[in-house]
Amino acid sequence: MNTFLRKNTVLLITLAIITALFIAAAQGMEKKDFVITLLRGLAVGSITFLVASGFSLIFGLLDVLNLAHGTLFMIGAYIGWTVFVRPDTFVDLLTPFALILSGFALADVYPLLATRIRLGLTTKRILPWALILVSILIFSFILPQYPISIWDVENYGQSPVTYSFMANSGTRLPAPIAAFTEISAPLALIGLVLASMIGAFGLSLFNSETQQQFKLTWKNFAAFAILLIVALLTLIFNESLTAALTGLSSNWLFLIAIAVATLSGAGLGALIESTLIRPLYIRPIYQLMLTLGMSAIGIEIVRSVWGRPEFVMPKPAFFNGTGGVCPATNFADWWANNCSTILLLDGRVRVYNEIFIPIIGVIVLISIWMLLQRTRLGMVIRAGVQDREMVEALGINVRRVFTMVFGLGVGLAALGGILAAPSMGLSNAMGESLFLNALIALAIGGLTNYPGAALGSVLVGLIQQFIIKYGQIGIAIPFTDIIFKPTPPLVPASTVLLMVIILLILPNGLLGKKE
Amino acid sequence: MKKFLLSNRASLFTLLALILLPFIVGLMDGESPMAVFANESGNAKFAQGLAIEIFILALYALSFDLIFGITGMLSFGHSMFFGVGAYLTGISLKTLGLSLPATLGLVFIAAIVQAILFGLVLPRVKGITFALVTLGLGSVFHIVVMSSELGPYTGADVGLQGVIAPAFISPANERIRFYFIALSILILVYLLYKRFVDSPTGRVCIAIRENEGRARMLGYNTFYFKLAALTLSSLTAALAGFMHTLYQPIVSPNVASMGFTVTALLIILIGGVGTLNGALVGAVVYRLLDFGLRRYIGESASFISGAVYVLFVLFIPFGIVGTWRAKSFQINQGWQRLRKLFG
Repeated sequence: MNTFLRKNTVLLITLAIITALFIAAAQGMEKKDFVITLLRGLAVGSITFLVASGFSLIFGLLDVLNLAHGTLFMIGAYIGWTVFVRPDTFVDLLTPFALILSGFALADVYPLLATRIRLGLTTKRILPWALILVSILIFSFILPQYPISIWDVENYGQSPVTYSFMANSGTRLPAPIAAFTEISAPLALIGLVLASMIGAFGLSLFNSETQQQFKLTWKNFAAFAILLIVALLTLIFNESLTAALTGLSSNWLFLIAIAVATLSGAGLGALIESTLIRPLYIRPIYQLMLTLGMSAIGIEIVRSVWGRPEFVMPKPAFFNGTGGVCPATNFADWWANNCSTILLLDGRVRVYNEIFIPIIGVIVLISIWMLLQRTRLGMVIRAGVQDREMVEALGINVRRVFTMVFGLGVGLAALGGILAAPSMGLSNAMGESLFLNALIALAIGGLTNYPGAALGSVLVGLIQQFIIKYGQIGIAIPFTDIIFKPTPPLVPASTVLLMVIILLILPNGLLGKKE
Repeated sequence: MKKFLLSNRASLFTLLALILLPFIVGLMDGESPMAVFANESGNAKFAQGLAIEIFILALYALSFDLIFGITGMLSFGHSMFFGVGAYLTGISLKTLGLSLPATLGLVFIAAIVQAILFGLVLPRVKGITFALVTLGLGSVFHIVVMSSELGPYTGADVGLQGVIAPAFISPANERIRFYFIALSILILVYLLYKRFVDSPTGRVCIAIRENEGRARMLGYNTFYFKLAALTLSSLTAALAGFMHTLYQPIVSPNVASMGFTVTALLIILIGGVGTLNGALVGAVVYRLLDFGLRRYIGESASFISGAVYVLFVLFIPFGIVGTWRAKSFQINQGWQRLRKLFG
């Protein structure tokens, strides 16, 4: 115990000062203000934590500073919005996506095929590029003609802003049903499968030098077959599926949106890692530039698909009840009426923003903690953070773990995005500010330390919310009559200053490992 | 003498081309060199303006290359160096009404002070933590500049407007003079940097980049060398900011933001990290690419530029100058083969 105290004196003193500051801050305001501020701080902290934890996992294991993390957070929010507000678009998109993926499901088959073909040196160098070019050409021929019922960014009456507004007031705009008119259906479907197979074959030829033993099992073909069947079924039952999703209550639809956003975020992350980041492990600085470029590309894609204006995402009905007995005075009341607000200690608390999001944050915190501490994958990740080469030497396929961790990290960011969307609204810039928050939180908590990410995020969220609150009520400076009101620019400045001070005292953050 | 001319012929040709650039553009447009000298508006004047912007960017990127490429410190607060120079020049000329030399002196003093401020955190933090701390300092500066309390001085989020440069260097009426002053400052600073990198101090800086522990083992107090590089870099960036304010009628708060640091990073990654002339080449490529894309493609230009950066990273990882140096033998051989082919 004595040695623990001696080793961590600085840490304990810092923590004591921060706690004392919070107690002092709590003294200055009424009880109901304090409760609301605390809950809001926890909510901001939870969203920050979802971004920060993914970033910290990726940085810890892969040593990649993923500067596109904020953009991926935003993409998660936009994907979730699409599923929630426009289920018909989502159903329409399922078929082409499954078909494009189908070729890549056969990834283990192509190397075997490649060894059968004997080629000259020049042909061998050109062939992959030629195949990828052919596949891109086929895609660019088919995809623009593929019928998808989608919004129109140019036309205000059909824009995402209007759709959100209508969905928020409980009605759905009748969406035009897309049908195959410009291109015949079998041609489009077969073309997509072929193009995807050609492209995947071309990509697989790039690493044909590495001699790996691929065993053909039924699993490869099963994945391929399942994707094809899913594509065909969604195409055939398109209308009834759309009707079913549209008729679903918004709570279930929100759950589906969360699942789709998280999964597609994870898939996107795995794709980015395995194609773009993998060649760059030997040149760490270039990953920075790559992820910066990806971030610019991502923002531009979001702008061209969903448009520039901000819009809101309606809350699911479970958290959106109004009128009657609302705001609820206790939880039983709330459960019966699904009120959007609840009275806690005389303060009006928004249930979705200030109770639901922190709960999800705690659930994710615990489940990722269990994953890291109690499973084999978690063991490999923890070992990899400590000594990557040793893990490789023990015969563990670290590459696959890398892909999984990158996917997990991006999936967490996308989950944060869809959760934040109903409370923050969707805008092109929502990723940036949150990413800066997450970075500060990580620096405070310790860059590669998982509990540190949680502690830092909560600290950042609390400090920001307390300063916003004090901006409204003002701080009476003792012994004078001046009432100091922190201005909005002080909100980000305070967290940044806290980060600089903590890093100067403890260079590895609060819970970071000492070197 | 002859040997010197021969071995530096590429740089000398570039220099000659830059000196003649306004006149050549003028002649192509049917303007006589006298008209160019008289600063008549036209394509020649426009090209000068673009070139001045490139010079200022190159100066700024050069200063970032010194601390990132040569000394190996990744700083995310570099735009603060530029921003302090730019804002201080504007405030001193507009609000305080000081003369130009006094302003320059003030800017240099501020640059040294902020280098020492960054130096204070140097011994404590290294590597990625240094990047984060400098990011923090830089964003605090950005927030201070943007805050409405300082509105009368900095113009808050609108930017500092209405700075009037002294008449003899006014970018509107005496642009050709401004062009040559900017060019000569860039060349002087570039030569100074080359001398610095080749000097024993610069060698130690490179050693710090390669392996700081070993440099300290050899008996060098690495702190002083880092501080020297930081001070020189801060002075240069503040000088670039000074020229930026004189040239542009407005200082936008964007020059103090994180994005402007990223600009410097992109420029030297395009040109080649740690090569010095890479910063110059990168600035040309970056500004022309940005200008061309915005002009011909419009709003979605950053999509293309993002794609260009990703392709650069994947296929030309050492930048233009770095790749040129690594492959110069092969390029030379290919050139010889091509010449043989055509006799």
